[in-house]
Parts: sequence; structure tokens; C-alpha cells
Amino acid sequence: MPTDSLIEARQLVKNYDDFRAVDGVDFHVRPGECFGFLGPNGAGKSTLMKMIYCFSPRGGGELSIFGLDPDKKASEIKNRLGVVAQTDNLDEDITVTQNLQIYSGYFGFSRKQIQPKIDELLAFMSLESKAHAGIRQLSGGMKRRLVIARALLNDPDLLILDEPTTGLDPQVRHLIWAKLRELKTQGVTILLTTHYMEEAQELCDRLLVLDKGKVLSLGRPEELVKNNLHPYVLELPVAKKSEIQIPPSIQLETHGDKLFLFSDTPSELEKIALPFQGQFRIRTTGLEDLFLKLTGRDLHESE
Amino acid sequence: MSPNKIRQLPTFARMVSAIWYRHYRVYQNNFWTNSFPTVLEPLIFILAVGWGLASAVGTMDGMDYLTFIAPAQAMMAAVYTSAFEESYGTYFRMMVDHNYDAMISTPVGVNEVFWGELLYTGTKGWFFSLVVIVVLSFFGVIHSAWAVLVPFVGFFTAVAFGSLGLFAARLVKNINQFNFFITGVISPLILFSGTLFPVDKLPPVVSIVAKMLPLYYFIDVSRMLTTGRFTSDLYIAVPYLLVVPFILGAFAVNSMNKKLIQ
Ligand SMILES: Nc1ncnc2c1ncn2[C@@H]1O[C@H](COP(=O)(O)OP(=O)(O)OP(=O)(O)O)[C@@H](O)[C@H]1O
Ligand SMILES: [Mg+2]
Repeated sequence: MPTDSLIEARQLVKNYDDFRAVDGVDFHVRPGECFGFLGPNGAGKSTLMKMIYCFSPRGGGELSIFGLDPDKKASEIKNRLGVVAQTDNLDEDITVTQNLQIYSGYFGFSRKQIQPKIDELLAFMSLESKAHAGIRQLSGGMKRRLVIARALLNDPDLLILDEPTTGLDPQVRHLIWAKLRELKTQGVTILLTTHYMEEAQELCDRLLVLDKGKVLSLGRPEELVKNNLHPYVLELPVAKKSEIQIPPSIQLETHGDKLFLFSDTPSELEKIALPFQGQFRIRTTGLEDLFLKLTGRDLHESE
Repeated sequence: MSPNKIRQLPTFARMVSAIWYRHYRVYQNNFWTNSFPTVLEPLIFILAVGWGLASAVGTMDGMDYLTFIAPAQAMMAAVYTSAFEESYGTYFRMMVDHNYDAMISTPVGVNEVFWGELLYTGTKGWFFSLVVIVVLSFFGVIHSAWAVLVPFVGFFTAVAFGSLGLFAARLVKNINQFNFFITGVISPLILFSGTLFPVDKLPPVVSIVAKMLPLYYFIDVSRMLTTGRFTSDLYIAVPYLLVVPFILGAFAVNSMNKKLIQ
């Protein structure tokens, strides 16, 4: 199957017993792009990724990675992947360098052959000073950086990152973003899941919004926002709902204790907000609004 | 992404040895804490039995009692190290540390992972039965130079019992259920396989069953090697120990495929 997509999924399905975690998903990832999965907890993002990195067999539909079928060519595919799973899975009893040596062995590298690469990656992830530290001596952020470094040992063509920066401080997050952008300029294709809209905005060329195993939306971040929402939003406390008149041109959403009013013009929103000095905020709409709009309601109902 | 840059897949043997090396490396870091009990246990056993039981028992199967149980001690070291390593150890690597997730996100697959692990376990069985034989040789209970082959029997024993451990790791729903495996499977296998008394002393039916248990021939052969008293059993025991561990291994590895791949 000749294809210029790196990943091609058609009507992809995954069942766990009676439960359908991924339900007819279509998408493709082009070489060199950064492609993001967004979706609430349990949406099926990790399940989708596991099928791509040949961990879980698919339950139905079609899937090819590098033009290869993961059911038949898992080793060949994995030989060219870098995988950062959602849960860190380092060897806790050995050092940072030993972790990298051992993992590179799974790709067939000898220790001598891989050492320059290890030095390079430790520097790349600012972990040089920890080269001989035990894993238990590392902070969460250091472990995450090490897992990412480990995923780069084989110079992957496709890097798969399942929530690479969850739980990390802003400093580390920015460091990781910078590194991922650098990899992108080197031509590495990146597949990413995140719960941080800023991260999706910063890194992703295209996004797939997923909920309950189904695709809700797919496209460039700006496009998604533009196609689904008016460009301006007014935030008000939800208690004010009864006090305002809402013209039909305005889109209304409620999330938590906040009311979101979307409009094409800021002036329209300012008019409504006038009586509530100091209690409102008018801003341009972003991914977060989109995410809440697409997935928010469902989340509240199901929880 | 230029196709000419694509590296060749490592061979099966290369991947299996990478897994073997992983366990070796990790184990090395805790070498003394891990090895000490395994060596100490047979030592304590021999001392206790030597001081206590041996004089009361006198001879067993035409040899003094310590000579009778010495080879079984070497096999027990191999059994315990492999049965624990592949049950509890596998469970922790699978459920707690997620080590297998890391391994199989590389070209390595489940088959390579568990064959590597079984070979590593075999190596440990080899090593521990070697240590036990060396230690016991100071007690004058090793009577033949053939005893140098006992560690190799230990290797096959460990592969077989490592495989049983893997079945346990596949079946348990939580860590407590391993108690069933150790007390319900491993302990009886050890007791009824000619470790402390000859199987022939059992009622005829039981003794026939005992000879079919996986450990019987391993101990039988070890005893021939440490005493130099070979019997015609050798013609069954040798093919048995060369083949059975790998049949068990093949089933165990296959069953881990089902457990891990969901
Ligand atoms: N091994 C499994 N067995 C049974 N159900 C599973 C299994 N793995 C995942 N699920 C279910 O599949 C659904 C999707 O899970 P998945 O881990 O893909 O979600 P996710 O989008 O990655 O969520 P999160 O943002 O919390 O990581 C969930 O409802 C989860 O309970
Ligand atoms: Mg997930």
C-alpha cells in the first residue's frame, strides 16, 4: 500500500471485552508534522496510541504505520518508533546510563556503539549531571526527561508521546517543548496527547479531539477554534445568568461555575458586561474553550 | 526520513540476549541481598539435618542421609530462585514497574522477553546450584567428579520451574494468590520428588505419580552425578531434562502473550 502518510487509520476500533474504547476513528498523520490527540480522561487517547505503537492489537478497521501493518510487522515498525508511555517505566534499580544502555540493547546496539548517543541525549535533556544517579534519586520531571531521552536512542522517525509533561513544572514543560520543536525541525514526526491546551497550541500542527472513542473534530488548532466558536468570549459568574438578556447572535455555554458568552464582536459583549464591573473578563477564544465546548457537557453528565 | 537510514532489525538471539543482560545487570546491583538467602538456606538445612536428623535416620537408599539430600539441596536452590523470580518477580515487573511495557515498545516482542527471562532464570539456577555444590563439597557429601555437571541440571530445573512461575503470574488476580502457588504447588513438588526420602517409599500409586512430577528426574540425575551411582533411569532422565523445560517454557511464553497483549 503506497502512501505518503506516516500513520493511516480507517474506522479503527478497540474493544475491551464488551466495552468499546475506540469506536471508528479515522485520521492520518503526515511525515514531519506534530499531531495531537485531545480528549477528556477515558476518551481513548492512550488506547489509540497503544495500537499505533503495536502494544495492543486493533479490534477492527485498518491501520498502517510507515505503510506497514502492525499485526504483521510490529518489530519492523517498533524499530523506527520512539515511545513515551503515559506511565514511566524505567528500571528503578539501575542508573540513568545503565537504563539507556539496556534499552538501546533492545534495538541491537552494543554499549560501546551507543555511548556517544547516550552522552548526546543526556546533554540534550539536561541530565548530564545525573548520568550515574539511580532512578530513585530523580525527580518526576527528570524521570520524564529520561524516558524521552530513552525514546530517542534509535533516532526514531516517529516519536509517540502520551502526556509527556503531565505533572511537570512550567520550567521543565517549556524545556521539553523546546526539545520537541528542535526534533521537529530535524524532521521527526511527533504524535502527542496532552491535557494542556497551551501545549497543544504550542506544538501541534493538527489536532484530533476525541471523546468516548469517537472523533469530535479534526484540524489545525486555529481552524478548529474558528470553525466551532465565535472569536470573542465573555466570562461571567454563572449566578448572573438570570440578570442578563442574551441576543440570539450570542452562543452560550456553562462550565462549572462560569458562564461563557461567545460573540463575533467584543462590543456586543461589553454591552452585556457593563453592569458587572470587576466580575467579568472579555478575551479572544482559544483551544480551552473549544475543548470545553466539544467535550465538557458529556463529561459532566457522565461523572 | 530516508529509507537508507533504516536500521536492520536485531535478530531473535540478539534481542533475547539483551533481555538476559537486562536482568543480569539489574540483579547485579542487588547481588548480595538476593544471593545470600539462597546460599544460606541449604547451608542451614544441611547443618540442622546433619546435627539432628541424619544420625537418627542413618542410611537412606543405601547411602548416608546427608549424601542423599545434598543433590536435592542444589536443585531446591534452583527451584526456589526460579519459581520466585518468575512469579513474584514477573508480577512486579508487569503490574508495578511496567518493565515489560518498556521492553515491548522496542523491536522486542513478548516471545523474546520471556525466553530471555527464562534463560536468565536458568542461568541463576545454574549459578545457585553451583554455589550449593561447592559449599556442600566441604561437608564431604559430594562423592563424584560428575558433580560438576549438577549446575547444568540446575539450569534446566530453573527453566522448568521458571515456566511454572510464569503460569502462576499469568493466573493470579492479586499478589496474595502466589501463596497458593508456593505452598500448593512448589512445596509439594519439592517434598514428593525424592528430596528427603526416596519416592519408592511412597505407596505405589503415589510413587508413580511422583515420578511424573517435573522435579523428580532433575533430582534423580543430580543424585547420580554427586554419588557417581548411575542407574538405568539415566536414559529417561536425560532426554526428559533436555526437553521438558522447553516444552513448559513454550507454553508459558505463549500464555504470557495472552496476558500482556490486550
Ligand atoms: N486494559 C484495559 N481493559 C479494560 N478497559 C480499558 C483498558 N485500558 C483502557 N480501558 C478503558 O478504555 C477507555 C479509554 O482508556 P484510555 O486509557 O485510552 O483513555 P485516555 O483517553 O488515555 O484517558 P486519560 O486522559 O485518563 O489518560 C477507558 O474507559 C478505560 O477505562
Ligand atoms: Mg491516557
